[in-house]
Amino acid sequence: MTSEAPADDRHGIPAFVVRVPAGPYRSLNPVTKLVIALSEVILAFAIGSWSGPILVLAVVLGCAAIAGILRPLWVIAAVTLPVVVSILLVNTFLYPGAKDPIITVGPFAPTWTGLAFGVQVTIRLLAASLALAVAYLTTRTDDLLTELERRGLGRRSTFLIGAATETVPRTITRAGEIVDSQRARGLDTEGSWWKRARGVLPLAGPVVFGALTEVEERTMALESRAFSAPGRRTMIRHLPDSGVQRWFRRALIAVLGLIVIGRVLGALGWVP
Amino acid sequence: MNGIALATAGLGYVYGDGTRALEAVDLRVAAGEHLAIIGQNGSGKSTLVRHFNGLLRPTEGEVLVDGMPARQHHVAELARLVGLAFQNPDRQIFAGRVRTEVAFGARNVGASSAELEVRVREALTAVGLQGSEDVNPYDLGYSRRKLLSLASILAMRTPAVILDEPTTGQDARGVARVGDLIRALGEAGRTVIAISHDMRFVAETFPRLVVMRAGAVVLDGPPAEVFGEPNWATLASTFLEPPLSARVAARLGLAGVATEADLISAVTRRARESEGALPEGA
Amino acid sequence: MSLTLTAVGYRYVGTSRPALAGIDLTLAPGEVVGVVGANEAGKSTLCLVAAGLAPATIGGRLDGAVTVDGLPTAQAHPYELAQRCGVLFQNPVTQLSGTAPTVWEEVAFGPRNLALPLTEVVGRVDDALAALAIAELAERDPARLSGGQAQLVALASVLALRPAYLILDEPTSQLDPQGTRLVGEALSRLVAGGGTGVLLTEHKTDLLWGLAGRVVVLDGGRAALSGAAHAVLADDRLAAWGVEPPGRVRLARTAEAAGVALPELAA
Repeated sequence: MTSEAPADDRHGIPAFVVRVPAGPYRSLNPVTKLVIALSEVILAFAIGSWSGPILVLAVVLGCAAIAGILRPLWVIAAVTLPVVVSILLVNTFLYPGAKDPIITVGPFAPTWTGLAFGVQVTIRLLAASLALAVAYLTTRTDDLLTELERRGLGRRSTFLIGAATETVPRTITRAGEIVDSQRARGLDTEGSWWKRARGVLPLAGPVVFGALTEVEERTMALESRAFSAPGRRTMIRHLPDSGVQRWFRRALIAVLGLIVIGRVLGALGWVP
Repeated sequence: MNGIALATAGLGYVYGDGTRALEAVDLRVAAGEHLAIIGQNGSGKSTLVRHFNGLLRPTEGEVLVDGMPARQHHVAELARLVGLAFQNPDRQIFAGRVRTEVAFGARNVGASSAELEVRVREALTAVGLQGSEDVNPYDLGYSRRKLLSLASILAMRTPAVILDEPTTGQDARGVARVGDLIRALGEAGRTVIAISHDMRFVAETFPRLVVMRAGAVVLDGPPAEVFGEPNWATLASTFLEPPLSARVAARLGLAGVATEADLISAVTRRARESEGALPEGA
Repeated sequence: MSLTLTAVGYRYVGTSRPALAGIDLTLAPGEVVGVVGANEAGKSTLCLVAAGLAPATIGGRLDGAVTVDGLPTAQAHPYELAQRCGVLFQNPVTQLSGTAPTVWEEVAFGPRNLALPLTEVVGRVDDALAALAIAELAERDPARLSGGQAQLVALASVLALRPAYLILDEPTSQLDPQGTRLVGEALSRLVAGGGTGVLLTEHKTDLLWGLAGRVVVLDGGRAALSGAAHAVLADDRLAAWGVEPPGRVRLARTAEAAGVALPELAA
């Protein structure tokens, strides 16, 4: 089977291009990791009450532990903290129709119902965002795009996704330089809020214009490299996959389909 | 308006990612002095000049602007003293009209409305863009946008002016124009620092050159000395080549030559000396 | 077999003034033609038109005919033109795809687009890197190269399409002296290798002096002068057209005016 062919020295491709991801969990095919992450996201919201979301969160953390990325995952979880806190507060204090106050202080009446709902929503959100984070932390964008293109994603979509991930850091660098050049012309960004707000206009122009001129230059550069040629591009990289993973993905998608169909039918009142 | 002195003492700078950009730079620029900094990209030239208006703050050492420690002042305050034109005009230009663009910095540093008109006109004339006041900057080509970005710094009328690669993308006329405006700033007594990759341009325009390599100043002196044969090894170590006149002069065994004018006068002088020497020896 | 412009005029979208008018130019394989002129004299436009990017990709109106080995660019697909005529612009950053983790894959981008067999892709990438002597960069991240190195990688990426003609639009204008020298040496090597026809616009006439066989001077979108490189670059009217003569020409002229002999210039 070609997919299990020795990965080094195929057709003279240098070893540093072959780059087979190694290590527990990381070495899974990127598509397997993507299917797992998306399944977790859907299940976190599709299964009701407590058991579903908690189970999904446990699976996500389990995967993270296997991959050895619990530490960076905590950082990502910490970033979501403001959202988590606000969800908890809003639901606890403002859950509509709840009549079981924990305590009543003047107009404020936090409820048990609201708190429980808030915790549940939090677990769902956390499970979903960490599921995606695990996929992100264990997979190189390039590896995932290679596999998606092999499975039929068009060259334009592949390129756009790849370029978009690279655009963000470049835009940040450019914005930094633009801020500097306006400050060099006496724009006060260290003063009052009003002064800072007034400073936004001089920054927006160069960011937009820079992006626009770049698009034209990039388009021409792509055309001059035959980007618009017809047919499927030559694939130079081949990431390992296995029969087990293929069957696992199919099974996961099938189970997922059944659960979603069950939920939809349930919502429509066709099953008890 | 008179220039101001700029100085660094033991200046070191390390970027957030741990990359060291400057190491122990001691540079003293007298009020009204003109100098060019040359060196490869990444040698620390732009990092160094960004300390003079406070955009970067030293990780080690001190920066003095007009004798005052720069760290005591905001960028907006230092911008009244030190104008800095960036290398890429498209990181700077934002206005829909040339007039607004040039007036922006001048207004920020306190020019009155009545005064703005005059300043804008003068600055545009200095770069040869007079009459373009109502044009949209983005309808100008790259080289003119570059000149526009220089004009918007000139209009601030700062006692010190720093130009980061002012001749990039300019044709022969544009280079000559930039040279003229730098000389005009000199006649007005203002301090000028320019970063450039054009060896002939710096030799002909600046009385002092500073060569940087890997975050440190490796040569500092008049062009004729910096481009002299004893320094060629140092220049080559950072991939710089002396201008043609200096290379030809070395082949002729003449020292102290950086420009064409230097070369011609040195050759003429030697010819006269040898003529004068002949009768005595005869 | 040549890249031929016949009575070519061109207007950008939304402008009435022609950026180019009455241009006749022939570029044969193995020949290097330099293009000089003041800013906005039409040098970059000439590059876009010769490469077929104008009007095919950026629109505008083309008069006259541009043909590459007999194929009119106006009727060709951009990917067909890319295999006959490669283009290199000023800014190395915007020319790289930005999606390749290594230089090797960056250079492979073009051949992959053509859906060539894998062994052919590998061969072309290795050849292109070797032609510019940058095989040692193969493993590097394209985003972490110096300006000169990035420009060479961009050139290799174009060479991997094996074009018969190369259009280079001020390839050294945004580079420092080291980068300029790197690109200059690589171009010399490429030209010495023969075969490829090169159209090179440059403000740095010193670079053209050593590389170009013929030089065209553009002024206001028209060809003001055209002929053997050394004769054109030594023409008295060059400065009036906003072009800096090569250092040796300037110096010889200054010396002559001062009545000083400088035989060393010939060396």
